[in-house]
Amino acid sequence: MERKFTKKMVDDYADKLLIGLTEEENKMVLEEFDIIDAQIDIINSIPDISEVTPMTHCLDDFVYELREDEDDEEGSVPIDDLLSNCDDYVGDEIRVPKVVG
Amino acid sequence: MKYMDKSIKEIHEVLKNGEVKSKELIEESLEKSKEVQEKCNAFVTILEDAKEVPVTDDLLSGIPYGIKDNYSTKGILSTGSSNTLKDYVPFFTATAIENLESHGAVATNKTVLDEFGMGGTGTTGHTGIVKNPWDTTRMCAGSSAGSACAVAAGVYPYATGSDTGDSIRKPAAYCGIVGYKPTYGMISRYGLFPFASSLDHCGVLARSVEDASIVVDAMKGIDKNDMTSWDSKDIHLYDSLTGDVKGKKVCTIKEISNPSMYPNASSELKEHLENFQKALEHFKELGVEVEEVSVDSKLLNALASVYVVISCAEATSNMSNLTGIVFGPRANADNYIDMMKKYRTEGFSPLIKRRFVIGSYVLQAENKERYFHNAQRVRRLLVDRWKEIFKSFDAVILPVGSGPAKHLDNSEDILDENTGVLEEHLQIGNFGGFPSITIPDGFVSGLPVGLNITGNCYDDVNVLNLAYALESSMPYKNQVAKEEK
Repeated sequence: MERKFTKKMVDDYADKLLIGLTEEENKMVLEEFDIIDAQIDIINSIPDISEVTPMTHCLDDFVYELREDEDDEEGSVPIDDLLSNCDDYVGDEIRVPKVVG
Repeated sequence: MKYMDKSIKEIHEVLKNGEVKSKELIEESLEKSKEVQEKCNAFVTILEDAKEVPVTDDLLSGIPYGIKDNYSTKGILSTGSSNTLKDYVPFFTATAIENLESHGAVATNKTVLDEFGMGGTGTTGHTGIVKNPWDTTRMCAGSSAGSACAVAAGVYPYATGSDTGDSIRKPAAYCGIVGYKPTYGMISRYGLFPFASSLDHCGVLARSVEDASIVVDAMKGIDKNDMTSWDSKDIHLYDSLTGDVKGKKVCTIKEISNPSMYPNASSELKEHLENFQKALEHFKELGVEVEEVSVDSKLLNALASVYVVISCAEATSNMSNLTGIVFGPRANADNYIDMMKKYRTEGFSPLIKRRFVIGSYVLQAENKERYFHNAQRVRRLLVDRWKEIFKSFDAVILPVGSGPAKHLDNSEDILDENTGVLEEHLQIGNFGGFPSITIPDGFVSGLPVGLNITGNCYDDVNVLNLAYALESSMPYKNQVAKEEK
């Protein structure tokens, strides 16, 4: 039987996430995909499942109150604090390898 | 004289009457931290320079506690137990921690978790596996492994945790203590490293329901920095503990807790379910009505996949900011794409990488309907069923897991085709944002096991009261790990 999920497919998705997988990691993802897919088949067999509104948040009856649009100077973060965890910067700017030749 | 194995109220009393000073408690907690670190590897950082604070009438003042290492702490290493943030020092403190500090709480360490909270074994943190203080050949479960371990070992009376699937409530069961996550949004998530935002909850691990209530009273509150937090100033958890539960109604779920569902049960599972039945008898003696209801097995069997699909999808998005360029240890490469790829490939553990790939797959336009939206649909069906139950019952009560802590040599954290609903049902508490608490209910093979009580949103007082009454009828309150192997 032709596999629905392939090694190449898993590597492609990992690559989109800028992640490299070892052979073993790839194999484990494939196994998990098969299990998830079988369980999703169960979900699809629930009558009228497509009529149910997807639940995106656990308090989806929650009423959000918009706050006043006020300047919050206290909330602004000093640039030195923002850069304190950066390994390579010059002045106020983060340094990365040249993008344009 | 040792104090860190006492309750918050007992410690407060000796602080107030001058029998002990906050400084001495901090020294005791630090000393015990080192001992537990040696045996169980529970901490990312031990805060040797923790300072004493004035003791006030506040129950938490001057008393040590632990912080799970996915809470941001200003000026203190906060790693999420990931190599990708192994040198990250935040410039702000999480609101929940600020709230505890404003009550005079003193942190003495930061505890190990499964990397970014994305695991259930306590074995995937970048500083190594966390061992169970009752038996170091066993796991603590996760992700709040270090917090559960330290509280159970008597390092302090409580530690913060976070819970996206069962990350507070399962380690609590495995370590013989109390784990409580209140209704979603009662505690601000600002400054908690996000894993799956629609499921993430802050909460606490403690050794009694009373202590858990005192701590969450201090952690909670509306926060302008978390738009999902809500005003709970009229809810006083600790003051509402009466122990009077006569006339309350709780239910079990046949498909999850009835022994007849497990014809081939192991001896540990049998014992675990017998313990649970005994706890139900205690409830009845307290005047609580206990009934059994049924839930469609099809929904329950889909639970694990629903959780994996939703949590992995949200995590993939939340953690796309981890590039190693603005923060985190930067990787060396000729271009910025390779820099990011190297950082992420080398930094994330295999488990996390696998989960990200699943998340990415289910979010692709061509897959979204079949996987992601259908998972969200089943989430609603499950939550609706639970809300229907809560119309007739004050809470659902169920055993936690299928027995005591698992052996560390069997700690694979992948989705298993044979995984029982018994292992996964606590995730429903996250799907619905329900208040949910685990308390110890006995021992199996000499190791603690627990049960869970979950109620409707905003009904935390009811849930805590039920747990408080049941805890008082059993001999496992305030227990500390006794046999460190």
